[in-house]
Amino acid sequence: MKLRKVDFYLDWPVSIKIINLRRFIKGNLAKKGEVIRWSIVDIKDSVDSSDIKKIRINAVLVNPVNS
Amino acid sequence: MPISPTLFIIPTGIGCEIGGFAGDALPSAKLLAAASGCLITHPNVMNGGSLSEKNKDIFYVEGYSLDRFAKGEIGLKSVKQQKIGIIFDSSIEHELLTKHLQVADACVATLGIDVDSYVLTKKPLGIVIDSESQGISDGLIENPDTLIEAGEILIEKGITAIAIVAKFPDDLDLIKTNSYREGKGVDPIGGVEAVISHLISKFLKVPCAHAPALNPIELNENIDPRAASEEIGYTFLPSVLIGLSKAPDLIELTDKNSNITLHPSEIEYVVVPSGALGGEAVLACIERNVNIISVQNKNLLSIDNHFLKYPKLIEVNNYFEAAGLILAMREGISPRSIQRPLNKIQELNFINQKF
Repeated sequence: MKLRKVDFYLDWPVSIKIINLRRFIKGNLAKKGEVIRWSIVDIKDSVDSSDIKKIRINAVLVNPVNS
Repeated sequence: MPISPTLFIIPTGIGCEIGGFAGDALPSAKLLAAASGCLITHPNVMNGGSLSEKNKDIFYVEGYSLDRFAKGEIGLKSVKQQKIGIIFDSSIEHELLTKHLQVADACVATLGIDVDSYVLTKKPLGIVIDSESQGISDGLIENPDTLIEAGEILIEKGITAIAIVAKFPDDLDLIKTNSYREGKGVDPIGGVEAVISHLISKFLKVPCAHAPALNPIELNENIDPRAASEEIGYTFLPSVLIGLSKAPDLIELTDKNSNITLHPSEIEYVVVPSGALGGEAVLACIERNVNIISVQNKNLLSIDNHFLKYPKLIEVNNYFEAAGLILAMREGISPRSIQRPLNKIQELNFINQKF
């Protein structure tokens, strides 16, 4: 078993309602590995689109993909 | 008066003014427990190094399991007492290990806690500390398998709750460490501690908590009172053993044979620092339409309701207000009736009605 820390920005489209945000993030994290710990550490408006917010995710994964 | 089960969350390692040090949110937890009649919180709130308390109205649940509770995956079952086992990192030196074993014996002899046995990991856990993410405490362990393997040995022997003691490097950044001790910085090891206990919760599904093993460092005469509970002993193990001694069992909701004391559907409130709304438990409670009380408690994050726009969120200035709000609603008193100005009730008409 290996652990890896990941830190990345994810586009949060307005079509994803707040009640679905957690599952949206977990779905994206699942592509990278099994999650041990995660949280949103920053949110900002996108400079490119008013329909998107940029959310920064900090996570620790186990058995990360491509490790 | 019926209880109002409340989740009380102060994330580890984000530098909260209250709760970012050594059990310094415990008085707030006791206040919220008195107001709600039932508080579910995690070791970062309750553990003050050598100091902690048992409280019949507080459920002590490790962060990963607390998230699972918030997601509706597990229920909590009260117990009379847990049978505790301890995992010691094999890189702990003999003298420091002896001190920890004496603490465990003392908790049996003086507090009546059932600490049954311990195991040394086959390999060192290999702590790697990292705090690059905006100053947030973070890190990993190099050998997670050896941690899980040690935990499995304890569970095979009938242990029902696990304390973990990992050796942290002696060459911790002294400037950062002293900044934390003086109340000006972030707990440099909190992030790794969370990873260690989350691993046990995820893979072994038992109550657990972590205490770091650290060799004594130089006397500092400017210790902040909030960090002082970590200066009064050789180990941080007592608070972990006290917390785990009556931590609730974690019941998978698919297990129909177990009685559950507290079901996740009973959660009425989440109390969380303002700016720290981006954790899994809070987002899971938003899915479940739970009331969120966001408390001014300065920290490094700025994930607030400006971005989330959750309608059932109330912002308050401090934990006194949070407790008063919970107590008012628990008593069936509209918070609006206590605030001024008090507006007249609104007339609705059919033109403005939206479905």
